[in-house]
Amino acid sequence: MDAMLEWARGPVFVFSLTFMLLGLLRHVLVTFYEMRRTLGRAGDKVLPYRQILKATAQWLFPAGKIRHEPLFSVTSMIFHVALLVVPLFLGGHILLWQRGLGISWPAIPNALADVLTVVAVVAAVALVVQRAAARASRDLSRASDYLMPLIVALPFATGFLAMHPALNPFPHQAMLFLHVMSGNLVLVLLPITRLSHAVLLPSLQLVAELGWRWPLDAGSKVEKALGKQGEPI
Amino acid sequence: MTSAPGKYSFYVEKDAYEVTDRPRKLLEAFAAVLEHSSYGLALDVFARVTAKCSRCAASCQLYEATGAARDIPCNRSELLLKVYRRYFTQAGVFKARLLGGGFTLTEEYIDRMGENFYRCTACRRCKLTCPMGIDHGLITHLARWLLAEVKLIPKALVVSVREQLQGVGNTSAIPPAALIDTCEFLEEEFRDNYNADVKFPIDKEGAEHVFFPAVSDYLLEPDTLMGNAAVMAVSGGSWTIGTKNYDGINYGLFYSDRMMERIVKNEVAEVRRLKGKKILIGECGHATRSAWFGRTFCGPDAPEVVHCLQYAHRQLKQGKIPLKDEKIEERVTYHDPCNIARTGKITEEPREILKTICRDFVEMHPNRTENYCCGGGGGTVSIDEIREFRTKDMGRRKAEQIRATGAKYLVAPCANCKKQLKEVCEDHGLKEVTVIGLHDLLLKVIDFDAYRRQNQNEAGPVAATTQAAKAEEE
Repeated sequence: MDAMLEWARGPVFVFSLTFMLLGLLRHVLVTFYEMRRTLGRAGDKVLPYRQILKATAQWLFPAGKIRHEPLFSVTSMIFHVALLVVPLFLGGHILLWQRGLGISWPAIPNALADVLTVVAVVAAVALVVQRAAARASRDLSRASDYLMPLIVALPFATGFLAMHPALNPFPHQAMLFLHVMSGNLVLVLLPITRLSHAVLLPSLQLVAELGWRWPLDAGSKVEKALGKQGEPI
Repeated sequence: MTSAPGKYSFYVEKDAYEVTDRPRKLLEAFAAVLEHSSYGLALDVFARVTAKCSRCAASCQLYEATGAARDIPCNRSELLLKVYRRYFTQAGVFKARLLGGGFTLTEEYIDRMGENFYRCTACRRCKLTCPMGIDHGLITHLARWLLAEVKLIPKALVVSVREQLQGVGNTSAIPPAALIDTCEFLEEEFRDNYNADVKFPIDKEGAEHVFFPAVSDYLLEPDTLMGNAAVMAVSGGSWTIGTKNYDGINYGLFYSDRMMERIVKNEVAEVRRLKGKKILIGECGHATRSAWFGRTFCGPDAPEVVHCLQYAHRQLKQGKIPLKDEKIEERVTYHDPCNIARTGKITEEPREILKTICRDFVEMHPNRTENYCCGGGGGTVSIDEIREFRTKDMGRRKAEQIRATGAKYLVAPCANCKKQLKEVCEDHGLKEVTVIGLHDLLLKVIDFDAYRRQNQNEAGPVAATTQAAKAEEE
């Protein structure tokens, strides 16, 4: 078991982390490159930057958007906060960084981490329940939409049990192994699934606006490409 | 619906049924559009991040009315995103090769797209509630273009564009002689009813503004046009109507960028022919939005676009519009046309005008950028055979909004909104409501006596001739 655990938090973790970082970096670079290219050939290059910035800020910190769907919005926001804070600021995780790379930063108290971990798991389950309970979201959902919050919650649930041996009915090492592996899974999924919104979100409002910024003569060029010049309407 | 128009809930032209091999043709068009236009990045990112959270459902007036899964904006957009993922992303192509089967674009699927993308008015209200910023209006816009390349277009839209680009030159098929007649008739109306000398200048070279209203106003909304002309006259504005092109309507916006580009270029060409400086748009939402694409189609030198509400507002603020002492007494409310209000471009000007000229102005809720569409947006208003859908499903929320205001006048500065709202009021028993243009109300309160006195004092050429004529008569 020890060897497997070492394997999981050694090579597998390094691979997953690298995969995530490179994958997300690729998203950022490709999106940035495409934004420049689209704007560069657009006939109308004047963008409403203030409006775009405002909309972007409103969705990065969406407190003002709660009123539209209060329950769902609050659950989702709590979920996101716990998701971002715990893995990055848990004392145990920082200790690992310090041992491995010699870097560290302030940690949150373990008691707070415990609370946020439980919150993350409960919120994930609540999101799935809400999704299934409301007709509109039920009609929209793909299987992966139900699965994704649960997958993301896995490292939290296993991490909590690993941290609290008294509550854990399974062998500690096995639980720790599951914790590390599910964490690795989330890292790998980040760039290749909708989780990529983690890095794409700040660009989305601008991207949507750029969709309307067509190149000069785009219509005529499409017409020519399709061999439809001079075709009667 | 009174009669079943065939395969779709709207009429299509006969040759739409004769197109063969539509999936291949649609995909070819899709590929050409991705290469030559700017939709690629947006589609790519949208297809990646869409989270199916259903917040858009709560913001859509259609879904609220029907509760049908297909009317959830995100579901509708998925119809196109699915095609994009399967045929235009590496992952999609790879998955299809590796696993086989899976999603394939079929004739039936195209029919479904045709039906659903014309159940959306592209009002873009749902964009405001999407955490991922997905612009479902953009997707509807693109999907309709692709459908148009396999001739799946409502007949009403294609007939209008044909008339505009290949026929008489405008969507209502009004020949220039009839336009001039109409303008002369309206000038007479000014003399008879207001004792005022107000001109509709035709083909005047070098005028600052070249005027493009929805051409249907010449047939249906003479009071709006008289309001426009009156504002120009009393404020001393320099404007003209070009006889080569006098139609601001652009149904290309509703189904094909190819058509939209040609129509906008024609508009710009007319301004250049007349050596004008600016495009002045009448009371029409989509005409304004499509004219705003001038720089997109004609580059940075395209003439500036001024909406008649912006013009009137500026003149009123500068005190250049003499108003009578009495105001409009009846209760007035304002409908924000999506095409000018959704992005917040024109929301305050009409309100400031209305608050100045009306004693009892009330807001609808929600309003401005969050307004509900009249229910006839995206060109659907001109599709008569779907009236029941437009007024009962699409327009239900709007009817409730209007009823709640208790207003007598419902001001809608948009030809399409006006037609739709009149039908909404009819079909929902809102008999006491009059749908009206903002310039119609302005016309009621402009003080033409003051205008005449001012002209006499200045003794400008026009005023001098009228004075001389009057002296002769006496």
